[in-house]
Amino acid sequence: MKILELKNISKSFGAIHALENVDLDINPGEALGLMGDNGAGKSTLVKIVAGNFSPTNGEIFVAGKKTSISNPLEARNHGIEIVYQDLKLCNNLTASANVFLGREINSGFGFFSRLKHTAMNDRAAELFGELQSETRPHDVVERMSGGQRQAVALARTRLSDPKIVLLDEPTAAISIRQVAGILARIKQLKETGHAVILVSHRMMDVFEVCDRVAVLRRGNKIADKPIANTNPEEVTGLITGALEKA
Amino acid sequence: MFSYNRLLFLIDHLIWGILVLVFVFFIFQSEYFLTERNISNILTAAAVLGVLVAGQTFVLISGNFDLSTESTLGLAALVGIWLIVPAGPTTFGGGIFMNPYLSIICSLSMGALIGYIIGCLITYGNMHNFIVTLAALLVIRGLMMAFTEGAPVSGFNNPSADVFYWLGHEKAFKLPGLGKISVAVLATGLVYIVCHLILKHHKFGRELYAIGGNRDAAEALGINVNRRIRQVYMLSGLLAALGGWMLAGRVVSIQSNLGETFIFTVFAGAVIGGVSLQGGRGTMLGALGGVLLLSTIDRGLNLMQVSVFWIKVIQGSVILVAMLIDAQRVRLKELSIIATSEKK
Repeated sequence: MKILELKNISKSFGAIHALENVDLDINPGEALGLMGDNGAGKSTLVKIVAGNFSPTNGEIFVAGKKTSISNPLEARNHGIEIVYQDLKLCNNLTASANVFLGREINSGFGFFSRLKHTAMNDRAAELFGELQSETRPHDVVERMSGGQRQAVALARTRLSDPKIVLLDEPTAAISIRQVAGILARIKQLKETGHAVILVSHRMMDVFEVCDRVAVLRRGNKIADKPIANTNPEEVTGLITGALEKA
Repeated sequence: MFSYNRLLFLIDHLIWGILVLVFVFFIFQSEYFLTERNISNILTAAAVLGVLVAGQTFVLISGNFDLSTESTLGLAALVGIWLIVPAGPTTFGGGIFMNPYLSIICSLSMGALIGYIIGCLITYGNMHNFIVTLAALLVIRGLMMAFTEGAPVSGFNNPSADVFYWLGHEKAFKLPGLGKISVAVLATGLVYIVCHLILKHHKFGRELYAIGGNRDAAEALGINVNRRIRQVYMLSGLLAALGGWMLAGRVVSIQSNLGETFIFTVFAGAVIGGVSLQGGRGTMLGALGGVLLLSTIDRGLNLMQVSVFWIKVIQGSVILVAMLIDAQRVRLKELSIIATSEKK
């Protein structure tokens, strides 16, 4: 069964059609590479799945059930976790505060509730350990390297047990050594039955970890084929428009 | 051993060191400085300022400004007294003779409502907070003047005004060395404890820091940013009205310019206490330090019989020095980031 299905998704901003009738689906344990040039509609698609935008037209099914995702919290509740391109970190807060942002552990209710600092720090330390990162929960994000910042953003996706993990350009801003770590992490997610959508410019990364690649061009999906049946040259041609269709 | 982190820690808590230094300086300058009466005066002067700075600290941490609180304070004080005193000359009240407790509830809710309206204008109207609160500052002050036609509303010799005097004037108990502690000082202390708990140990405070630090991220992670901003302005308006209640009990007769130009001191207190105008940084404890420093300097200079004009010059300089220290803090932080990343 498909864990996530997008049917006929369109999104317009006034006269600009960012997406036109895009269909996309993904199975549990599968990694899908989503590629396209700048302005092809990748970010718009990510934001629709994340609940930042609602589509102008079209339907979204999560685990076969028709759903509407009208805000980021709803996306999380449906088991969709996003790692954004710019990581969405608050520089003024500690690593642990960033991991738990919007999902803090509280004791008590409503006005009389209280943040459980120790519980959150301990859990964050565990998560950083699992990610094999040296990040410490008390450190302020402002003073972290690119890799540590990435670890904080990744740790967020592990708070719940998500069904779908969407990574938007995760390897764009980090060192080569750390790229290997991210790719290993994606493989690990696949093995544990998670669906992974990898939005990336880097052909190498997509061909290393993904099972399938979908290409967007000017708001339309022009290709969607297994990695085994294609090659980097063909995908490059599709992205640039040298090849009209796959 | 030299370490940037240690230096940063020192600068972050510098306010308390400066406060002690200034205190000792004034002790040597005036024999009256270390009297119970003077200490009690410093604390009482800090009480009203403190309540406004607490409200402003929330607003600043969320990355916004609230210039309107001085007018809200004035209007809340005016309405509170106007509702309980007779109409006509000498008092110029509304002649409604409302129950004083009810009038305080009215005045506090009015403060919160003003804040809420400002918050709505900013979030639903998509307007810049600086301009909206600047306009509110003028509108509310204008309303106050139009409403009273410039006549002072007075609660003098009116038994109903006792509730106002209780908060403004009454002494709660005597502490050795600190003199008589007034109810106002106790109330402000309580306000700071509650505000500190909210900021440090409640989800609400954590979210304000996040909004001030990176609004975009806060939104993406599902925090209802606009709602929080409306709540923050509501809180600021409510605290301003509380300050109005305190001040009404102290000045007896409310002029239509009550609280005017107070906002400069409020911002100075917050900034000196280390609350960043860029949002996302600052603590209630620091803000309290800023408030105490300002009122200590004010009282001390008064006792030294420094002219009012020079007091303004000195207050302005204190703000400049605070900003200078803050700029060094930012520079040091950058240096320490470079230092730690090169170690790896």
